[in-house]
Amino acid sequence: MIRYEFLMQIRKRSLWITTAILAVVMPLLQGNRGPSSLPDDMSARAVMGTWAFLFSILLPIGFGTVLADRLVRDRRLGIVGLLDSLPVGPGARVLRRYVGSVAATAVPGLAIMMAAAVFELATGRHDPALLLWAPIAFALVMLPGLAFIAAFALVAPLVVTAPLFRVLFVGYWFWGNMLPTNFLPSLTGSLIAPIGDYPASWLTGERMLWAGDDGWLGFLRPDVTGATAALSIALLLLVALVPLAASGPLLARRRVAG
Amino acid sequence: MDLKISDLRRRFGKVEALRGVDLEIPGGMFGLLGANGAGKTTLMRIIAGVLPPTSGLAIVGGNDLSTREGRVAVQRRLGYLPQDVGLYPDLTPVEFLDYVGLLKGLDDKPARTRQIGELLEMVGLSDVGRRKLKGFSGGMRRRVGIAQALLGDPSIVVVDEPTAGLDPEERIRFRTVLASLAGHRTVILSTHVVEDVAQTCRETAVMAGGRVMFTGPVTDLVRHAEGATWEVTTSGPAPTGGVVVSAVGRADGTHYRVVSPSRPDPEATPVAPTLEEGYVAFMQTVSAGAERVGSS
Repeated sequence: MIRYEFLMQIRKRSLWITTAILAVVMPLLQGNRGPSSLPDDMSARAVMGTWAFLFSILLPIGFGTVLADRLVRDRRLGIVGLLDSLPVGPGARVLRRYVGSVAATAVPGLAIMMAAAVFELATGRHDPALLLWAPIAFALVMLPGLAFIAAFALVAPLVVTAPLFRVLFVGYWFWGNMLPTNFLPSLTGSLIAPIGDYPASWLTGERMLWAGDDGWLGFLRPDVTGATAALSIALLLLVALVPLAASGPLLARRRVAG
Repeated sequence: MDLKISDLRRRFGKVEALRGVDLEIPGGMFGLLGANGAGKTTLMRIIAGVLPPTSGLAIVGGNDLSTREGRVAVQRRLGYLPQDVGLYPDLTPVEFLDYVGLLKGLDDKPARTRQIGELLEMVGLSDVGRRKLKGFSGGMRRRVGIAQALLGDPSIVVVDEPTAGLDPEERIRFRTVLASLAGHRTVILSTHVVEDVAQTCRETAVMAGGRVMFTGPVTDLVRHAEGATWEVTTSGPAPTGGVVVSAVGRADGTHYRVVSPSRPDPEATPVAPTLEEGYVAFMQTVSAGAERVGSS
């Protein structure tokens, strides 16, 4: 069943179009802190960590908005009645859909990381290790954030409408990932910021955005180390379980209401 | 697989969709008739385990549908074709059936693949089995729907308004498929199209206002119009004092069939009723205040 969830998601044209647009726009807008400004002798690990973080700035917004209709579209397509008549419960269905959707959504993300590695190889950095660090950086920086936002994007539209969720999600993204830490209380730079600040900072050896910064809620921003990067990834995956656990009861409540 | 329902009620907010349904359905093909809004779809959804009842008892093959265990036990042996069935447009029929088969717990891949091939053959979709569903017509989608309902060789099949919106050819084809299923299964056909029941069912029930008003053989329902079905050909106005069931224009005037307890026109002659006329006559008695009429 996960295979079909994967197929349905990966066949979504909007997934590829969104990824392609952002994959082109972000390198063009990277400014002087992006991978094109890195010195020639920078390690493959740091180069690909920088690329992964660059893509992580906006790509999750695209992923979140694309994923937001995965559960509610069953109702729109008129397939809920049929699914509810089958012996697999709603919680198990959501879990399989989540895994299949995350796996499918990860494919274009991984593809642009590999493309970035090939680009680096072709334009001056002749280090084959770039091809090795591309999937590693993707797995450490982009994938946990994707797993985090996918859980909320799947389940939140059961509570609010999908369009409203998309608006709220974009607002959250900028508030919770990029807002300066001394401006307002926010989750920016914290261990549960899905932008991947901690693992990217650990990979590159430099603070990418606000990880480890003081400011409001500073206790959520310990110094960047391998351990805090791992903790950040673990926390993101753990928090993702919360909406997934809520999805079964939410769908069951809808079923009872008819 | 037999089905016993007693005092089944379902409420949606202030609306009581089912008001104490009592019904026994034996094996074979069973028709559930009623106007739109009679409560048929709500009853079908409860039988399919999609919707829990507010109160009352529904026992299918010895399993109580009000418990989770009972519902899952029934769903393992159930095929359900909802009204307006939705399909995933980005899958092919083969993929969609495989997806539903997995959800039904059909874990043996070779057996599942073989069955999908047989079902697509049965519903006449073998040649488009690997084309995406997004371009399919309503009739083709409905055929995919019946194929998924039959996956896993269910012992009870519930189909809700399966021929609504189909062209005549598709409708006949669909009825033939349904009738061929009933041999060793219970097939519950819910419809407001009387002709579908007339062509496929021996037993039927009639619902109105959230209650079952009639259960029994189709022939008993037809008998409600015996002595009350008339035909007359006239170039004048339509007969009054009854329900005109059909009106066919001819060279010598319009030929009417009328259900009426008394002769609706001096020229009218009595004729043998059809099921549709039996249904109309029965609904007249219901609306005239009959509480419950049944032959069983």
